[in-house]
Amino acid sequence: MATEVILPRLGQGMESGTIVKWLKAEGEQVEKGEPLFELDTDKVTQEVEAETSGVLLRIAVAGGEVPVGRTVAFIGAEGEEAPSVPDASSSEPGSSYQSVVESESAAESRVPATSLSSAANGRIKASPLARRIARERGVDLRSLRGTGPDGRIVAEDVERAEPDESGGSYQTVPESQPAAESRLPATGLSIPVTNVRRTIARRLTQAWEVPVFQLQASADMTRVNALVARLRERDPEVRVTVTDLLTKVCAAALMRHREVNAEWTEEAIVLHPSANVGIAVAAPQGLVVPVIRGAERLSLAEIAAVRTDLVGRARDNKLRTEDLEGGTFTISNLGMFAVESFTAVLNPPQAAIVACGATEDRAVASGGEVVVRPMVTLTATFDHRAVDGAPAAGFLQTVKEGLEDPGLAL
Amino acid sequence: MPELTYREAVRDALVTAMRADDDVFLLGEDIAEMGGSMGVTQGMLAEFGPERVRNTPISEMALAGAAIGAAMQGMRPVAEIMYEDFMTLAAEQVVNQAAKHRYMSGGQLSVPVVFRTQGGAGWSPGAQHAQQLEAWFVHIPGLKVVFASTPEDVRGLLWSSIYDDNPIVFFEHRTLYPIKGDVPEEIEPIPLGKARVHREGGDVTVIATGRLVHESLRAAEEAERDGISVEVVDPRTLQPLDEETLVASVKKTNRAVVAHEAVTRMGFGAEVAAVLQYQAFDWLDAPIERVGAKFAPLPFAPVMENFVVPHAADVLAAIRRTVGRT
Repeated sequence: MATEVILPRLGQGMESGTIVKWLKAEGEQVEKGEPLFELDTDKVTQEVEAETSGVLLRIAVAGGEVPVGRTVAFIGAEGEEAPSVPDASSSEPGSSYQSVVESESAAESRVPATSLSSAANGRIKASPLARRIARERGVDLRSLRGTGPDGRIVAEDVERAEPDESGGSYQTVPESQPAAESRLPATGLSIPVTNVRRTIARRLTQAWEVPVFQLQASADMTRVNALVARLRERDPEVRVTVTDLLTKVCAAALMRHREVNAEWTEEAIVLHPSANVGIAVAAPQGLVVPVIRGAERLSLAEIAAVRTDLVGRARDNKLRTEDLEGGTFTISNLGMFAVESFTAVLNPPQAAIVACGATEDRAVASGGEVVVRPMVTLTATFDHRAVDGAPAAGFLQTVKEGLEDPGLAL
Repeated sequence: MPELTYREAVRDALVTAMRADDDVFLLGEDIAEMGGSMGVTQGMLAEFGPERVRNTPISEMALAGAAIGAAMQGMRPVAEIMYEDFMTLAAEQVVNQAAKHRYMSGGQLSVPVVFRTQGGAGWSPGAQHAQQLEAWFVHIPGLKVVFASTPEDVRGLLWSSIYDDNPIVFFEHRTLYPIKGDVPEEIEPIPLGKARVHREGGDVTVIATGRLVHESLRAAEEAERDGISVEVVDPRTLQPLDEETLVASVKKTNRAVVAHEAVTRMGFGAEVAAVLQYQAFDWLDAPIERVGAKFAPLPFAPVMENFVVPHAADVLAAIRRTVGRT
């Protein structure tokens, strides 16, 4: 009996993923735990491992966007016949994945809205809560695709359903890109929008709706530079960077100014117990923000090790969903590009982000004289709904003091 | 706050009631000189004498009958049935007599008796000395049924049981006797029919009794690491059941797991699941999961016993199924 390979849910809220490529060919032997295909979700591109050993009998979906829970392949015994269409009586998504199985091409994996329901034999599988919410909001369950266990429509699916402007039917899975010929200009190079890029666009647009304000401060980096140099000399294996120190200093400051390590919700302002500091990384597939968890408890060397691992994997496209979740604050450092200072866009639902420019020698006044000091300019952006100006300024001041006298943060 | 073991907490409730009130007395097998097979009544013979700490012949039916008779005459007896399994021998008296007299006499009689008993696996007592039979007794109108999981609860609930005018079957769990916990300085009666929320959470409610309360708390901690927020509720009194608290919790979390050591089939959890599906139907986002022992007599071999009864890992697996993250 062949085992179905199901498109897995890799994180809360994931509804679909895009199969980038298969790492095994039909007829090839696979071992449990071996990478089977590359999956692009709205957060990361990840290798999905086989959950069972056997022969990859059939690849049902060669590529393209696929909803969570759908059968994408079959693994079975050598010489076994792969079922061409899953048994409708035993599998819920039933009628809906037939079209996918038969199209087999990335571009055509788009499922018509009429076949989205998790219906088999006319019966829609939905949780009671999902049914109630659908009733209250006037959502037609038949237009939804279930992402719960066994393809059941759960509350999250209904809540995510957005009105279809054109005709009142609802869609949970974002439609594929608009038809190329209709919208794109005739000239120019078209770069297809990946899920990661679409997520970046959606989140930044969301961030733009947040009422923000910026505060700026410059810090003397003499001691930070000396400390970084000394740490590298002592242990060349672990390459501590200014970003690591900034992470440590910010984490310590966040613990002192809990109101900045916060999240605005309609019900309450949530203060997070730990400083999970996200580091903005320019990865090949676009901007990603892996998170250093509990940075306030980590030593500089530990932060450096975690950061090295995360950034390395971000560049190799090997981040896991959990690497990107749970951030409470973000650091964006463009210092290596000789940017003096810049304003970063908030990373919701976080209440603050700090943008770090280059450390450069500047003439500053010190003790009545003009002296040359390595200076850095930090620009912090805050969600004004969660935090007011004075406490935000207090936070930035603590960060500045921490950089000028790193001992304070350790 | 003083710290007591579960065993000491039971004894403290008994001793305090007996010092305060001459109507309260104990009877049971080997409870006097030996202090009970589980050591709960140790030292009580010396303080209260053989009239009030009475050894009985080895006949559960006789000792249950004697306790019921004394209760109808105005005493508040606490009878110890050495093992829950032996409640089957006392069943005629408990089910047909104690549970019925108040009703059949039109309220002229009351039977304020407590049947304390213990059971539970985890120490290889075999098929006849570790069953969890609470489901048998919650099925009988006229009885109240209590199953406490912590020292504080067992003391406050036993106190309330002694002073309740109805017959009570009071379950203790063998493996909980040595656990320690803070208790109030003075005994604070815990009303019967009031559940306890041990841990608040937002994604799944685990309704657990006895040893499984502790297993569920462990599972909840584990789940928390995966970002699943679990609420753990102990009904404490199985009959009457605090439906309000259980339903409110599930309406909040939209998912439920019921967990007990007794076999799942026809277990107490089945009734809880039925209550939840009826009163919170439109709030459920996943089927209610049930955790309990496999449908088999308890094996003597430790490895097999361990396999049959549920643990934190089973609760965790059920939690994960409700949120679709197996």
